[in-house]
Amino acid sequence: MSKPPDFHFFRLVARNLGNRPYRNIATIFAFAIIAATFFSSQYLMSGAQQSLDAGISRMGADILVVPEDYAGAGQTVILAGTPTSFFFEDSGFEKISRIPGVAKASPQIYIATLFASCCAAPVQMIAIDPKRDFTIAAWLKENPGLRLGKDDIIIGSAIIQNVGNDLLFYGHTFHVVGVLKQTGMGVDNAVFTRFEDAYVMAEESGQKAVKKLIIPEGKVSAVLVKVNPGTSPAAVASEIMAQVPGTKTILPNGLLNAVSGQLSAITRILYGASLAVTIVSVPLLGVISAMVAHERRKEVSILRALGATKAFVVRLLLVESFSLAIMGGCIGIGVSATILVLYQDFIMHLLKIPFIIPSLTTILVQGGSALLLSIVVGGVSALYPVIIFIRSEPYESIRGGES
Amino acid sequence: MINVDGLTKTFRMDNYEISAVDDVQLNVQPGEFILIFGRSGCGKSTLLGMLAGLIRPTKGVVRVHGVDIAHLSDDDVSGLRAKEIGFVFQFSGLLSTLTVLENVLLPTLFCTYSPSSGLRALELLEKVGVLDRADAYPHTLSSGEMKRVAIARALINGPALLIADEPTGDLDVDTEFEIMELFRQLNHEGTTIVMVTHNPDLIPYGTQSYSMERGKIVGKPKTSSCENLDLKSVSHLTTRDLT
Repeated sequence: MSKPPDFHFFRLVARNLGNRPYRNIATIFAFAIIAATFFSSQYLMSGAQQSLDAGISRMGADILVVPEDYAGAGQTVILAGTPTSFFFEDSGFEKISRIPGVAKASPQIYIATLFASCCAAPVQMIAIDPKRDFTIAAWLKENPGLRLGKDDIIIGSAIIQNVGNDLLFYGHTFHVVGVLKQTGMGVDNAVFTRFEDAYVMAEESGQKAVKKLIIPEGKVSAVLVKVNPGTSPAAVASEIMAQVPGTKTILPNGLLNAVSGQLSAITRILYGASLAVTIVSVPLLGVISAMVAHERRKEVSILRALGATKAFVVRLLLVESFSLAIMGGCIGIGVSATILVLYQDFIMHLLKIPFIIPSLTTILVQGGSALLLSIVVGGVSALYPVIIFIRSEPYESIRGGES
Repeated sequence: MINVDGLTKTFRMDNYEISAVDDVQLNVQPGEFILIFGRSGCGKSTLLGMLAGLIRPTKGVVRVHGVDIAHLSDDDVSGLRAKEIGFVFQFSGLLSTLTVLENVLLPTLFCTYSPSSGLRALELLEKVGVLDRADAYPHTLSSGEMKRVAIARALINGPALLIADEPTGDLDVDTEFEIMELFRQLNHEGTTIVMVTHNPDLIPYGTQSYSMERGKIVGKPKTSSCENLDLKSVSHLTTRDLT
């Protein structure tokens, strides 16, 4: 004699779902695609936004002043860390410091290194003046006991080296004393050193390096400006461009807009993809629902004849649909999250946006909203069979098709 | 138990109406085995559908235990079907996704499930003679076995009334006999049965039998007692005579 089974509502749901494997797999796939595209869009956008916030906060400046012809290159250094070298007269820096509204001004020299011992590709070296710097100084303040001394460097998080290692640039040995937190922007690929060490490195490069580095005397690549509290950075930026000919100013907002422009193009593509997938999937799910409504009319009628209420039938159909939506949603989110994390660098390179992995809370919220979307679509797709079954006279359906 | 008064069902087809059931009066008393005989399309099944509250009548009243079921909510009528009425369809009506045992237990989902339901299901399967097929799926059963399982399912909630719509319509003579014997046994044990059939050979099984033509009950009900009747030989003889 068989052991009396524990037969309950969810066993009926499980049996029904197991009965039509191919169609249910197709349905789960449709839900997975919807959830994956929606989740990916949100994940990429929030990661880029977070990266931008972190990068701008790291820069700590209200205005970046660069040579007029190198405005694009200046943005590239900050956003992508693409190695580049450019200069303008240091006298410009002196003028900038004296402009009303300027609280602090910090000059920087950008040097594109040769193939370095640390890295497969050249990195961006940024030389700072420790006396006037407020970018690295802020970070040093957060790490008491740390100082940027002679031949010391602080490296971005993307440069795979440890504190205490030595690195060789243009034949000059530098000592790693710190690693910056990840920002997802150009800073991650940069190496920070002092002006004097950069000049020594340039001087020695004739003998020690395969290519001589030239840092023109009295010239800098960029000036970071902090304005007085209550002063408009835009107004100060205009004044700088007016008083120091040949310069171009970049404001964090402008930087944000540059990235936002890039980001909004990608956002449009991602949301377009989400919309296209939903538009394609919903009719597909509708067709499947119509098939279900047709095929299961007799089955549902039998349930009604045996005593099932309309509410029971609605609950059964909705729970089945929600189960498929949840399964598909979880698979879609899981697979897309795995791909996004595993191939993050490749995807960011392809999309050309700064990026850091969003916080776990953000990811959970994004996953939850993608799952919710799947469930809502699941509920909508179950409406047609539900309406059909509620409206039909059960006994006619039972006898329909019977000879 | 069930009182039917002036029950009518009309269907609209294009520009004219068809009366599937026309002014039917019927009384079903506890312990009876009501057999309604009629040709295909005479309205028998529609009548059963209305008795069970599955089809809304155009006119007339169906009272179960004195209550007009037209005045009950869908939940109440469904509850009535789940607890008071067992259904056996012409086809087996078993769900292919469930095992035999699960099919029998299915109606318990619509009542309060109790742990004893599982044991009762096994007892019923034993009673109808298919206990050894408890874990099988419907597609592996013979027509007769399916019908037995359907009867066990109809009885799981201990209904006062068993409604059977042409339950032997698709069976061979021997299996038909076995199933009818099972119905007779259930009736002797106190189950009230209302069955419709197009097979006149089955008339002797009913304690009351009615003839139905074009939606109407015609003539007077026949009362019979089949206690001493060799029903198998009658059934065989009649069938042979017809062929």
